[in-house]
Amino acid sequence: MKKVLVIQEDIIILKILERLVSLNNFECKAIRSLDELSIEDQETNFDFIITDILFEGIAPLEFVAQVQEVLLHKNLLIVTNMGQDKIKQEIFALRGITGFYAVPIDLDEIEAIIQAY
Amino acid sequence: MNEESILLFIKIVFAVLVVYWVSIAVSLIYRKIRRARLKKIETTFADIVSRYLYNDPKDPLTFDEIKKRLVKVGIRQRNKNNIQFLIRLMIRTQRTILGRNFSKLQKLYTEIPPYGVSIKKISSWSWYKKARGIREIYEMNQSQYFDEIFKYRDDKNIYVRREAQIALVVFLGWESLRFLPYLKQNMTLWQQIKIVEKLYDHYPKPELKWLHKAYETEKLFGKKLLMRIIRKYELHAEIGYIIDNLNHEDYEVRETAIYCLQTFAVASSTMEYIKQLYDDIPNTTQQGQLLNYIYENSDIDLDFYLKQLYGDNEELKLSIAEILWNNGYKEKVQEFYYQQYPKATLNVG
Repeated sequence: MKKVLVIQEDIIILKILERLVSLNNFECKAIRSLDELSIEDQETNFDFIITDILFEGIAPLEFVAQVQEVLLHKNLLIVTNMGQDKIKQEIFALRGITGFYAVPIDLDEIEAIIQAY
Repeated sequence: MNEESILLFIKIVFAVLVVYWVSIAVSLIYRKIRRARLKKIETTFADIVSRYLYNDPKDPLTFDEIKKRLVKVGIRQRNKNNIQFLIRLMIRTQRTILGRNFSKLQKLYTEIPPYGVSIKKISSWSWYKKARGIREIYEMNQSQYFDEIFKYRDDKNIYVRREAQIALVVFLGWESLRFLPYLKQNMTLWQQIKIVEKLYDHYPKPELKWLHKAYETEKLFGKKLLMRIIRKYELHAEIGYIIDNLNHEDYEVRETAIYCLQTFAVASSTMEYIKQLYDDIPNTTQQGQLLNYIYENSDIDLDFYLKQLYGDNEELKLSIAEILWNNGYKEKVQEFYYQQYPKATLNVG
């Protein structure tokens, strides 16, 4: 079964994304911070990681770089409140980013990407 | 002070300390319980919203079940703080989502009424509660309370009328502009910007009928608001309204007109009209701003610039000379320079 990791501090967005992913027949692990990851999770190669970039104690770009370095994945989607153009440009400059969605989001767009996979 | 009185004093101090410690303990326990309760409400609400938006046909979520779950976590009529917390969650969630799911969410909100808490706030004596109630109503799109909000559109309190005016824009869209000529209280710049942004977010397609009706307004804030709307929607056909206000007697109206005009490029015939209005502007700084606009948006009109160069406005002559100098008319600037000193002789060689 294809696997997705959702990392969102906002529990409402987290639950919605978890539900969206699960109903599309993906196995979903939903967490509110990287601290909740188990050792098995760190060894899993996720088909998608859907993550926020704003977490306490770490700069947004540093967080993305850390996720890219630590977690095995095929696609990385960013869903965040920080939708400024400059942030978007800097995130895409990191490379390996599949999509960037600023809140407010149209969840159909994310669903379409997952379904097309 | 004898031994007995000292003992009594120590007992009193000790009793005060005990009361103090007990109150701290009670406060800590209350906060812990309260935090756990709010967390439970938030988790339950998140689960309800997620299941409602992505309903599983095998395990459907009904409105009855939603209501029961909310009651179970403490969303009851008597728990006003819990209801207030739920309202905050509802507004926060609505701001997060767009598209098809946004409409679904609005439908959900009509099914879980927070016991008219927001509408009750409107009857409050406190302006703060009143403004907050109005805001909650339009944020959650509870249009059934529109009539209640409508009467506060020109309230004496700036915050109450601000929220009521935004509610009008959210519920009525462009039609809300028809009330503009009848508003008596001032509308701040911040309020104008908020109205323009809300209108643009909710009603991106312009309805010029209402804009034309609002042109009747004589209020200065009304004129400024309309010009900002024309600018935001880039309504080229309505640019005449902005141009007509370039030489308005009020400084701020002129300032807004010049600011809004800068978004547009105009036809040469219109630019000729703007040049005619240029002389009517009584403020040098604003004339300078308009001069920059004319320079950046039209070809060099030698007659216009020479008229200004030889005119009475000393403060802008340097800018005009600079424009002519940089655009191939150095000799005209030199000519102007030398004619100022007709009797001077050159001390050369």
